[in-house]
Amino acid sequence: MLAALLVSFLGAILARFVVSRTFPHGGWVAALLPAGLFLFFLAKGASLPEVGAITETLEWVPALGISLTLRLDGFALLFVLLITGIGTLVTIYAGAYFAHSPKEEAARFLTLILLFMTAMLGTVLSDNLIVMFVFWEATSLLSFMLIGFNSHRAQARKAALQSLIVTGGGGLALFGGILLIGMTLGTFSLSEVAQRATELLASPLAVPAMILIMLGAFTKSAQLPFHFWLPQAMEAPAPASAFLHSATMVKLGVYLLARFDLIFEGIPAFGATLVIVGSLTMLVAAVRALSTDGFKEVLAHSTVGSLGVLVMLIGLDGDYSVTALIAFIIAHALYKAALFFCAGTTIHAVGEGRLSKIGGLARRLPMTTLAAGMAAISMAGLPPTLGFITKEYLFESQLNASSGWVVVAVAVLVNAVFAAIAGVAAIRPYYLGKTRSEVKHPETLGLYLGPLVLGGLGFLFGLAPDFLVRGLIQPANDVLVGHTVDLSFSLWHGFTPMLALSATVVAFAGGLIAYWHRIHYALSLNKGLARVLGDFGFNAAFAGLLRLAERCTRLLQNGDQHRYTSTVAAAVLLIIGYGVLASGTRPVIALTDGRFDMPSVIVLLLMCLGAFAATRTPSLLRAMIAVGVVGFGSALIFLLNGAPDVALTQFSVEVLLVLILVALLLRVPERAASTREPREKRLDILISAGFALVVFVALAATVALPLDGRISDFYAATSYLEAHGRNVVNVVLVDYRAIDTLGEVIVVAFAAMSVWGLLRIMPRRRAAP
Amino acid sequence: MNSLIFAAFSRILFILMLAVSLFVLYRGHNEPGGGFVGGLIAAAGFATLALARGVDVARATLRFEPMTVIGFGILAALLGGLPGLWLDDSFLAHQWAILGSAHIGTTLLFDIGVYLVVLGGILSLILRFYEGL
Repeated sequence: MLAALLVSFLGAILARFVVSRTFPHGGWVAALLPAGLFLFFLAKGASLPEVGAITETLEWVPALGISLTLRLDGFALLFVLLITGIGTLVTIYAGAYFAHSPKEEAARFLTLILLFMTAMLGTVLSDNLIVMFVFWEATSLLSFMLIGFNSHRAQARKAALQSLIVTGGGGLALFGGILLIGMTLGTFSLSEVAQRATELLASPLAVPAMILIMLGAFTKSAQLPFHFWLPQAMEAPAPASAFLHSATMVKLGVYLLARFDLIFEGIPAFGATLVIVGSLTMLVAAVRALSTDGFKEVLAHSTVGSLGVLVMLIGLDGDYSVTALIAFIIAHALYKAALFFCAGTTIHAVGEGRLSKIGGLARRLPMTTLAAGMAAISMAGLPPTLGFITKEYLFESQLNASSGWVVVAVAVLVNAVFAAIAGVAAIRPYYLGKTRSEVKHPETLGLYLGPLVLGGLGFLFGLAPDFLVRGLIQPANDVLVGHTVDLSFSLWHGFTPMLALSATVVAFAGGLIAYWHRIHYALSLNKGLARVLGDFGFNAAFAGLLRLAERCTRLLQNGDQHRYTSTVAAAVLLIIGYGVLASGTRPVIALTDGRFDMPSVIVLLLMCLGAFAATRTPSLLRAMIAVGVVGFGSALIFLLNGAPDVALTQFSVEVLLVLILVALLLRVPERAASTREPREKRLDILISAGFALVVFVALAATVALPLDGRISDFYAATSYLEAHGRNVVNVVLVDYRAIDTLGEVIVVAFAAMSVWGLLRIMPRRRAAP
Repeated sequence: MNSLIFAAFSRILFILMLAVSLFVLYRGHNEPGGGFVGGLIAAAGFATLALARGVDVARATLRFEPMTVIGFGILAALLGGLPGLWLDDSFLAHQWAILGSAHIGTTLLFDIGVYLVVLGGILSLILRFYEGL
C-alpha cells in the first residue's frame, strides 16, 4: 500500500508531462493511474474478509511516535474504492472537458486532480493521526487550488480563499484535538486509541478533544455554521466539483466522525450534537437549494443537505443507522458525481449556468440526458435504485432511534426537496424551457461515459445489492459497529412504515416540482433570508478582522520612530520591572568582586560621551558618527573581554551600518531641527533612564551569579579532538549545534525575502483603488 | 556618489574586502572568523561598490540575483549535512578527511552556505534600498 501511495504521487507528478504530450486524449492516458490503483485495492479488498485489516508501517519520526502506518480495513476500503473508482471517471471526464482549452491548462488540472487523489488515499489509509492530519491538510490545500483554478476570476479567488480559511481553521482545531488525544494516551495510532477508548473518556481532556475534532469535521463537511463555503466552491471547474465537493473530500468530515463514533459514543452529547447539527444543516440546505437558480449551486446545496443526513446518521443510536450511513455514502457518491458531470457538460455546452436560461437540450445532449435521468431517479429515492434502498434504511434507522419524530419529519421534508431537485435537474435543462439553447461544445464519449457508468451502477446495485453488501457494506459495517452484524439488504421490504414515508416524500416532491417557479420566486425575493443563511457571518467576521488589523497598524505603525522606540523600551521596562517585583527576590549586585580594568573603563567612558553627543547634536552626520563611537566601543569591549568573534561581527555590522546610512544621508537634509516638545522630551528621558537602570540591574545580577562552566569546558575539551576545530564558537555553530544554525540561516533567508518583497519599487499609486 | 577618488578606489577596496572575507571564512574553524562574519564583510564589499559606482555595477559583479545567492547558500548548507546522513545515519554529522596536517571537513561546505545566505540576505536589502533612494 505504501508503494501504491508512492506510485500515485509520482504518477500525479508525471501526469503533467504525459497529458500535454498526449493532448487532447490525455484524460484517457492519465486515467490509467487511478484505474490501476482501483484494481490494486479491489484485489487487496478481496482478501480482507480473511485477514480483517492489512497494516503496513514505515518509521517516520520515531522520536515523536509518528510512523507512516497505513491500515486498510472495511471502512477504509469503501472510501479507497470510491476515491479511485470515481477518480478514474473524473480523470477521463476532465480530459474531455478540457479538450478545447490550452493543453497546459488541461495538464495542470489533471495533475492537481491526481495529487488530490493521492492526498485523499493517504487520509483514509493513515492509521497514525498525525500522518492523517498531514494528508487532510493537503486535501484542503489542493481544494483551494482547484476552486481557484480559474484564477483570473475574482469570484473564484474569493471562494478559494474562503474555503481555505474555513477548512484550514477547522484543520487547526482537528490538530489540537489529535494532540490532546496523544497527550492523554501517549499514542497517535487510531486503532490503539479505539481500543483504549474507556481510558480516553476517563480523562478530563476527552470533551475538549471531542469538540475540537467535531469542529474539524464540521468545517470539512460543510455543516452548520460552516455550510456556506461549499456552494461558493462551485467556482471550481465541474470535474473538480464532482470529485472534491460532492463525492469524496467533503465526506472526510463524515469519515472522521464515523471513525471516532466508537470512541466518543460514551459521551451522550456527541450523538445528540451530531443529530442536531445534521438536522439543522439539512433544513438550511433545503431552503437555500429552493432559492437558488444556478445548476451547480442547486446541486451543491443538496450536497450540503446530504452531508447533514450523513452526520445525523452517525449521531443516531439504534440499529440500521450504520448500515444506512454506509449505503448512503455509496449511493450519494454515485448519483451526485453523475449529476455534477451532467451539469458540467450542460453548462460547458451552452455557456450558461442558470437553470432558468437553459432548456430543450434532450436532442442535442441525448446521452447526458439519459445519465442525468438515471442519476436523478436514484437521488429521488425511487425504485429500483440504490437510492431507494438507502432511503428506506434512513427512515428505518430514524424510527428505531430514540431521537423522536422531529428528526423523522425533517428527514421527510428534506428528502422531498432532494427528490424535487433531482427532478428539476434531470428534466428542466433537457425537456422544458421556452428557449432551445445553442450547443457550442457537443457531448463526447469522455463526457458521457462517467455519468452513464455511475447512473447505471445506481440501478445495478439497486436491483442486485448482494454483491455490494458482501463486498463493501458488510466489511465497513463490521468495522464501524465493532462486531459482525448480519445484514439483510434487499430492494423490496414489504409494506412497512418506511414505504409509507417514501410515498409521502414522492408526493411532496411532486408538489415542489409543480410549484418550483413560484417557490423559487418567493424565496428569491427574501434577500434577508439568503444573507442570514449564507456567508453573511463569515463576511462580517472577515471584515471585522481587517478593520481590527487596520486599527492596530494605525496605532502601532504610525511612522513615528520615537513612538516605536519608546513603545519597545517601555514594554521591556514594564515586563522586567513587573517580573522583579512579582518574584519578591531582591537582585544581588556584587560590586566588590572582580578587578578594576582600566582599558575597559576608558572605552566605556568614550561610549558614554558618544551617546550623549548623539542626543545633543542637530547635525545628522555628527549624530551618526557619535552612534558609531558607541557601536565600535562595544566591539572593543568584546575584544577586551575575550570574545574576538563577537567583536569581529560587531565591527562588520558597524561598517555595514555606515554604508547604509551614508547612502541615506546623501538624500536627507544634513541638519534636522528637533521636533520634540519639552513634555515629550521629559518622557523620553524618563523612559530611557528607566530602561538603562533595568538593563544595568539585570546585567549586574547576572554577573553576580556563579558561572556554570561545565558546558563551555566540555566544548573547550572536545572541540579539537572531536570536531577538528580550535575556534570553539565556530565549531559550536557549524558542528555541535549545526541544525540550529541551519534553522537560523533559513530564518535569515525568509526575513530577507519578505523585506525584499516590501522594498520593491512601488509603481505610482493609482488614482482610485 | 560622484567622487572620482572613491570610485577609483572602490574596485580595489572591493577586491580586498572580498579576499579578506574568504580568508575569514576559511580560518573560522580554528581562529576568530567564520561564515557569518565572512558574509558580512563580503556584503560590505559589494555595498561599497554599489555606493561608489552604482547598483548596476554591483549587480553585474555579483552575476546572480541576491535571492539566488540565498538559495545557493541554503543548498550548500543542506548538502553539507547530507554526507553525515549517508555515512553516519545522522544529518549534519560532519565528515572529515585528514591530509597530513590539513583537516578538510564538510563543515566548510556548511559554512560556505552560511556565508552565501548572509551575503545574499544583506545584499538583497541594501541593493533594493539604494535603488529606492
